[in-house]
Amino acid sequence: MTRKDRKPGITGSMRWIIFAAALVLLFALAACAKPQEPAPPWKVIDAPTLRAMMASDKGLLVFNTMSEIECLDHRIPGSKCLACEEIENDVTVLPADKDQVMVFYCESEGCYRSCRGAGTAVKAGYKQVHVLDRGMPAWKQAGYAMESIERIPRGSIQSVRATALKQMIAERKDILLVDVRSEKSYKEGHIEGTVNLPLYRLSRSYAEIPLDRTLVLIDDRGFRTFLAGSYLEMKGYRVMRLFGGMEAWQEMQAKKQ
Amino acid sequence: MEEIKGMNIATGRHWSLLFSGALVLLTVFAVICLPVAAPAAQDCRFCHDEPLYRVDFNHSIHAGNGCTSCHVGITDIEKHRDGKEKPAPVNCGSCHEKIAKEYLNNFHYIQEDFRCSDCHRNIHAIRKDGNKNVKLAIIEKCTECHGNADYTTSGHGEAVLKGNQDAAACSDCHGLHDTQVFHTSLEQYPAEARDFYTQKCKRCHADSAMMKRNNLSDKMVAYYEGTYHGKVQELGYPAPVAGCGDCHTRHNILPKEDPRSSIHPDNLEDNCGRCHTGFHARFLSYQAHPDYTDRAKYPALYVTFLFMGGLLIGTLAFFWVHTILWWRKVYWEHDRMEREGIVPPSAVATGEGLEQIERFSVKYRIMHVLLVLSFFTLVLTGFPLKYAGTEWAQAITRLWGGSHMSGLFHRGAAFILIVGMAYVSFESFRFLFPRGEGRKGWLSRLLGPDSLFPNLKDLQDFKAMIRWFFNKGEPPKFDRWTYWEKFDFLAVFWGMFAIGGSGILLWKPEWSSYLVPGWVMNIAALVHSEEALLAALFIFTIHFFNTHFIPNKFPMDRLIFTGTYRLEELKEQRPLEYERLVAEGRLESMKREHPSIPLKLISATFGLGSLLLGMFLTVAILWSILFG
Repeated sequence: MTRKDRKPGITGSMRWIIFAAALVLLFALAACAKPQEPAPPWKVIDAPTLRAMMASDKGLLVFNTMSEIECLDHRIPGSKCLACEEIENDVTVLPADKDQVMVFYCESEGCYRSCRGAGTAVKAGYKQVHVLDRGMPAWKQAGYAMESIERIPRGSIQSVRATALKQMIAERKDILLVDVRSEKSYKEGHIEGTVNLPLYRLSRSYAEIPLDRTLVLIDDRGFRTFLAGSYLEMKGYRVMRLFGGMEAWQEMQAKKQ
Repeated sequence: MEEIKGMNIATGRHWSLLFSGALVLLTVFAVICLPVAAPAAQDCRFCHDEPLYRVDFNHSIHAGNGCTSCHVGITDIEKHRDGKEKPAPVNCGSCHEKIAKEYLNNFHYIQEDFRCSDCHRNIHAIRKDGNKNVKLAIIEKCTECHGNADYTTSGHGEAVLKGNQDAAACSDCHGLHDTQVFHTSLEQYPAEARDFYTQKCKRCHADSAMMKRNNLSDKMVAYYEGTYHGKVQELGYPAPVAGCGDCHTRHNILPKEDPRSSIHPDNLEDNCGRCHTGFHARFLSYQAHPDYTDRAKYPALYVTFLFMGGLLIGTLAFFWVHTILWWRKVYWEHDRMEREGIVPPSAVATGEGLEQIERFSVKYRIMHVLLVLSFFTLVLTGFPLKYAGTEWAQAITRLWGGSHMSGLFHRGAAFILIVGMAYVSFESFRFLFPRGEGRKGWLSRLLGPDSLFPNLKDLQDFKAMIRWFFNKGEPPKFDRWTYWEKFDFLAVFWGMFAIGGSGILLWKPEWSSYLVPGWVMNIAALVHSEEALLAALFIFTIHFFNTHFIPNKFPMDRLIFTGTYRLEELKEQRPLEYERLVAEGRLESMKREHPSIPLKLISATFGLGSLLLGMFLTVAILWSILFG
């Protein structure tokens, strides 16, 4: 047997090894990249930036997009109360000058309401729209002061879980379910038998609620009914609230199915 | 008299003049000085004269402070009285700094803007009371709002109400001034919440003194940390696994005898079903934190624990002794040859002795590379779980991209290994029963020199080796496979049966419950873990030594990657095989070209890299066993 007859083992084995290595590499690259979210049409600023802006620009307009009740209870000093529903209903509540520098903030880390407000402003042609990143929680966690115009004494508002509420609805006649979400959310779906009294105009229309029944307040996620309840308790109502809001209710309904 | 009267009048006038002068002076003094001097408490109480401020406050814990210590900003009591000057909001944080700092992250502050006095309502009358049941007071305070039935019926709550000061009140889990909330609608939930609360449970339930006082086991935390749930949780990159609260629920934490308890047998299906779906009822006999050493309660686990422990210690002890004796002999032999100037023939081979003989074909070399890669992937994904509490485990898991990714790689590597083993089984079968020949002569093939099955010669070789170790004879003459190579090969088979079998059961435990009850998963987990330890330590400390670190091959034998070695080495290491090849006239067909430089480089890099990684892991594992 001559050398030529021998198997070309080396090149063959090389190919195999490279193939195996490539296989392993592919395996390692299996982790997929997250798609990037598009940038919002407004500028996002953090709490220290807002504080610096407020100090240097006296004409700056800072809007608290929570309801009037919540805003007067506690807000960033020097800001104005303008619920996002008010802006959506009539954008002329904003100043006429489209170059006015404006900052919107709300009470959730997700900035749902401030973004709604800012979105409406951008759509209406305002050019200098800002949103406070992570909203009031970020402001508070930075250790900055708040301002109270009409502070509501905190009540002892009991909460009921969705399952307990369902039972209560079946058994008790002396309760009145009050949905404090916006008209739009209410229309999209609500618990049967509830009346809608959006939080953003509760301070103007609470007197419509009869005084003879215990109220059960319902909101989106259960964060806002406590203060609304304390407000109504101050006005002489007996109040409870749905723990976890509509989200908890819908979760319960989904589980049953 | 008149005079006197007049004088008196005069003196009286004089006095009144003096008096009014003093009054003017006083007023001037007051106007100048009062803005800096705060009004005294009695000035405030002149108007704020309720008993709360006049009486209760004087007995309160804050009595040492004046009104203006807290109600700052009043510079002029007149203006304040006229409603023109209002005190600034009370800042308790100016004294209670630490609490104020904690409170910045309190959910009640961030979301509902609670201020100190919203909970500490009776702030002017708070007294220091050494005998106060603080836990009870906290529960009473929290349940003013959080009165849902599930808070008050909890096992802990009930115990606190009965006077047990060890039982958790609201604040023991949720914090007092740093209350965090992991609401279902917040994104933090559930990973952060699970981690947060599991740590809270562990803090008390691993406290030996406290558990002893309350007639509870302090080992539960350790047992939980020994399970898959506990380990993934502890790893710090939690994939969704059960923390304490996932099974014991959040508030209604009761012993399993209580029908209201989530872990009562009647409720287990729902309980486990919150995470696991599609399981058979047998699944529920899985033990969430068993004690392997409890013979009476878990006999099967106990026996498995003993068996696996015995197997581990026995196998390692036997081969470690074998390796040490072997190493001693070879080292001393080397030393003798060095002194006497003797060089082994393979080192100075010439002519035909330099020719390369194939030992492993390309197919088997690739299979070994795949085995190495899958094995290391399994070790690097499995052992961080086994030693979840260690820094190195957490670092490696971070490199994989978290427990979830780590688990995917583990299963991927397991799949490659299982396919490889299936192929080797098929080849072994074909070796015994070749196509066309059928069963004829299978026994002689099984026990023949080309087989990897142990035979009588292996026993003789082993005895000869031992004699040689002790300088009592010549080393045995080996054929194609030595007895330790056969053990390596068969150990993988046994390992695959033990690790692979248990691994497949654990792959999808819900489906496995249709085959075996849940408690078998406990055994499978134990077997998987212990057998993996045996396999890793065997490969890293015995296979590595026997094949690579033995002095005449140190630091590595590249044969498995290049596939060929010198004819002279074949003669030296496997004389019987050489003789057989010559006698059967097959030697010529085994000759190959010398391996190329790239192949040698790749072999050395891959081989040494694997050896080093193995050594690192050995140190990490032994360190964790001894000091972890």
